[in-house]
Amino acid sequence: MRHYASKAAFRTGLCAALCSTFLAIAVNAEQSADAPQTQADVLSIGGSVTEIVAALGQEHRLKARDTTSSYPPSVADLPDVGYMRALSPEGVLSIGPSLILTEEGAGPPEALDVIRAANIDLVEVPDALSVAGILRKIEIVGQTLGVPERAAGLMAEVEADLVAALTDAEHPEDGKRRVLFVLSTQGGKINASGTGTAADALIRMAGGVNAVSDYEGYKQITDEAVGLAAPDVILMMDRGGDHGVADDELFAMPAVRLTPAAQTRSIVRMDGLLMLGFGPRTAQAVQMLNDALYAKGT
Amino acid sequence: MSLIAEDIRVSYGKHAALRGVSLTALPGEVTAIVGPNGSGKSTLLGAITASLPYRGAVSLNGQDISGMKPWQLAAQRAVLPQASRLAFPFTVMEVVRLGLQSGTAGDRPEVPMQALARVGLAHYADRTFQELSGGEAQRVMLARVLAQVWAPVENGQPRWLLLDEPVSSLDIAHQLQVMDIARGFARAGGGVIAVMHDLNLTALYADRVALLATGKRMAFGQPQEVLTDEILSDAYGCALRVSAPPPAGIPFILPHAASA
Amino acid sequence: MTVVSDIAVAPRDRLNHARALHWVLAAALGLACLVNLQVGATDVTLSSVLAKLAQGETLSQIERVVLFDIRLPRLAMGILVGAALAVSGAAMQGLFRNPLADPGIVGVGAGAGLGAILAIVLGALLPVWMIDRAGNHLVPFAAFLGGWISTILLYRVSTRHGRTSVATMLLAGIALGALAGALSGILVYIADDRQLRDLTFWGLGSLAGASWAKVLSAAPLILLSIGTAVMLGRGLNGLALGEATAAHIGINVQRMKSVAILAVAGATGAAVAVSGGIGFIGIVVPHLLRLASGPDHRTLLLNSALLGATLLILADVIARVVIAPAELPIGIVTAVLGAPVFLWILLKRRGLVEL
Repeated sequence: MRHYASKAAFRTGLCAALCSTFLAIAVNAEQSADAPQTQADVLSIGGSVTEIVAALGQEHRLKARDTTSSYPPSVADLPDVGYMRALSPEGVLSIGPSLILTEEGAGPPEALDVIRAANIDLVEVPDALSVAGILRKIEIVGQTLGVPERAAGLMAEVEADLVAALTDAEHPEDGKRRVLFVLSTQGGKINASGTGTAADALIRMAGGVNAVSDYEGYKQITDEAVGLAAPDVILMMDRGGDHGVADDELFAMPAVRLTPAAQTRSIVRMDGLLMLGFGPRTAQAVQMLNDALYAKGT
Repeated sequence: MSLIAEDIRVSYGKHAALRGVSLTALPGEVTAIVGPNGSGKSTLLGAITASLPYRGAVSLNGQDISGMKPWQLAAQRAVLPQASRLAFPFTVMEVVRLGLQSGTAGDRPEVPMQALARVGLAHYADRTFQELSGGEAQRVMLARVLAQVWAPVENGQPRWLLLDEPVSSLDIAHQLQVMDIARGFARAGGGVIAVMHDLNLTALYADRVALLATGKRMAFGQPQEVLTDEILSDAYGCALRVSAPPPAGIPFILPHAASA
Repeated sequence: MTVVSDIAVAPRDRLNHARALHWVLAAALGLACLVNLQVGATDVTLSSVLAKLAQGETLSQIERVVLFDIRLPRLAMGILVGAALAVSGAAMQGLFRNPLADPGIVGVGAGAGLGAILAIVLGALLPVWMIDRAGNHLVPFAAFLGGWISTILLYRVSTRHGRTSVATMLLAGIALGALAGALSGILVYIADDRQLRDLTFWGLGSLAGASWAKVLSAAPLILLSIGTAVMLGRGLNGLALGEATAAHIGINVQRMKSVAILAVAGATGAAVAVSGGIGFIGIVVPHLLRLASGPDHRTLLLNSALLGATLLILADVIARVVIAPAELPIGIVTAVLGAPVFLWILLKRRGLVEL
C-alpha cells in the first residue's frame, strides 16, 4: 500500500548503508591480501621526505606514503594514507609500519598520540627553506634509516649541485627579474605568494625578485596590487592539461593583462613538488627557474 | 463562584483596545460578548484567559488569575481559540487527547472519544488533522476543549468554557449543535463565555449579553434588554431594527426557526 | 485522487508503534555498535578479540590500541554526537513549529564555528601557559565557548519582559550567522594555508580526534541535555497548537522554551565542539521518524536519539573504511547519504507531487 512505501524505503536505505559497509570491508580485505611481501616497514609523509628516502636508495623500505608524495613516480603504487594533517590512526596502524618519517606538522594530535601508544617510531623532519636546511633533512632521514654513509654521500652531492646552481644563478641587483608566484586563480581571484614561503625562497635562490613583498604567506591579492607589483614573469605550478588555453585565460584576466609578464607572455610552469618541496632536486629547480627567467639556453 | 473582570484596560502600543471594561459571568449561564469589529471582544477574552497583558483584575472562582500557574488555570477553564493551527500531522484523536494534559479528566481514557462523539466526529478519530475542513477542525478543537473540562462542576466549583467565535466557520446545522453543547454545559452548572458575531444565535442561546464598542462596554443584561434598535444601531453604526419582518419576497432563514 | 496521508502506520496504533520502535531502534543501535567495533582499516575484529579473551590469552599491543584507544572512544563519541544532534533537531523543530529547523537555529553552530576558527588561526597568540594547559583541547573548548556565547546572545535579543519570541530568534539567528561568517572570513584571510586546511577539515566534521578525554568531557553535558530534552515531549506536543493555546492547556510555555534552548545549546555545543560540523543528522532523523510513527514528541525525542546515534556510527564505519588507509570526513558521508534522503522526503510530501 502507498503509505508503507516510506517505511520500506527507509529500511532499504538502512540496508544499503550496511551493504556498502560490508562491500568496503570485502574490497579492503582483498587489497591487503594482494600486498607483496617485502621488507617494507616505513611510512613516509611529505613529498620531500619520500624523495629523500628514494634518493638514499631506500625506496624498497617504503610501505605507504601520503597524498603529497609524488616523486619518484613509482611511489604512486604505494597505499595513500591521505592528507598529513588529517591522518586516520587506524588507517596508519593498518599499514603496519615500524617507523614513520614525516615532515613537520602531521596531525591531528590525537592520532599521533595513538600511533605513539602503539609503539611506532615517529620521527619528524623539520621544514627547511635553505641549503643548510635541505642538508639537515637528508642527514636526519639517513640516520633514522640507518644509512648514514649514503646520507653523507647524498649530502655532499646535493650541496655541490646547490652551490653551483646558486652561483650560476647570481645576478646583479638592478637586472633582476620580478617574479609573481601564483598559487591559484580560482574564482577570478589571484592567490599569490608573499614572503616567507617556499616559492619566495626559490625565487630568490634563482636570482629573481619576488614581485610581492608586502605580506607573508599565500594570500589573495587585489587586482591593483598585481599591477603595482609589475611582475616580469609569472610562476605557477604545472597542473597538466592544455597549457595554451590556461595561458590565454590567465593573461586575459584584468589584473594580469597590463603587467609586463602579460605583454611578453612570460610564464613558467614547474612541477609543484620539484619547486616547493626543498628536497634533493632543489638544485635542478633553481637551475630550471633561472634558465627560464633569463632565457639562457633557449 | 463567578468569573469577574473589573476595569480591564489593554493597549497595543498607543492604541487603546479596551478602555476600562467590566464583566461578571455567572455559572449556569451562557454569557455572550458581542460588538462590531475592532470593539475589543477578543481582546477582552484574551485578558480573561491571561493570554495578553492587561491592567485591572480578573478573578476566577474567587481567585485572582494573575497569581495562578498555567496548569492551575487549565484545571478550571478551557479556551477555544478563534483559529486552529497545528504544526505537525497529528491525528484527530491525538489532538483531542492534548486537552487531557492538565484538565480534570486525565485519568479517564474514554473521555476523548466521548468528546468527539459529542461534536459528531467520532468516526474521524484516526484522520489526520490537516485533512479536515475549517469547520471540522473547529469542532475537533471544541472536542479538545470539552475533554479538558469534561465535568461542568468539579468539587462543587463550576468549570468554565471560554469560546472565541465558536461557530464562525460552521454551517447552520453545526452552529446549532455547538451552541446546544455550550448551553448544555451551562445548564449542568458550568459557566460559558462566548465571543459571538452572530446576533441571532446570541439572542437564541445567551442568558446574558455584553455589548462592546470602541473598547468600552455599551450595555449588559439579558438579550431583550441589550438587543434593541437604539443600542445596536448606535454600536454598529448602521440602522438596525430588531424583530422587524424582512421585505417580502426575499427568503430569510433564522436559527430560531430550526426544528430540533 | 484522494488526499494521501503521509503516515506510514495506521494511526490508531501510532503510539504503541512508536513505543515498540524504542526497542527496535535500541537493537539496531546495539547491532551498529558491533559492526563499528568489528570493522576497521586494520584487520583487528571484535570477534577475534573476544575469542582471545574467552580463551584467556593476552591481546597484542595493536589489538589493544585499535580496540580500546581508537574504536571504542570513537564509538562512544559517535553515539553521543549522533544522539545529541538528532534530539536537538527534533526539539528545535518542535519548538519553532517548523520541520525545517535544525539545531543550528539557536546560533550554536555559527558561534561554535567562529570559536573554532579563532582558536585555529589566533591560538598561537595566547599566552604560552594557556596553550600548554589546553593542549589538544584548545579548539574544542573554544568551539564550545563560542556556541554558548552565541546562544546566550540570541536568547537575550529575543526575550523581552520574560517572553521569548521564536520568530525574533529565527531572524536574529540569521543576523548572527552573517556576522559570524564575516568574522570568520577575516580570520580565513589572515590564516596561512595549514590553518586553512585545518579549518576546512574542522568544518567537514570528523570523529577522528576521538579520545577518552574528549568523550569524558563531553558525555556529562550531552547526556544531561538529552535527558532534559526527552522530558519535554508533552510540552512540545501542546506547543504544536500554537503558544497561546499551549498556555491554555496548562503548559508553562516560557519555561519550556528556556529549558529547550538550554538543552539544545548544551547538547549541540558539546557535540559540535568535539566533532566539528556534522550536518543532516539533526534535520533528517526526526523527519524519518515522523513519517514512520507520527509526530508525538513523547516518543519522537527518544527515538531520535537512538536513530541518530545508529546512523552516525554506521556513517563512521563507511568513513573509516571506504578509502582506507585514509579517512573520509564524516560530514561528507552524512551529506552524501542525507541529502538524497531529504530530497526524497520533500518529494513524497503532499502537494509537491502531481498524482
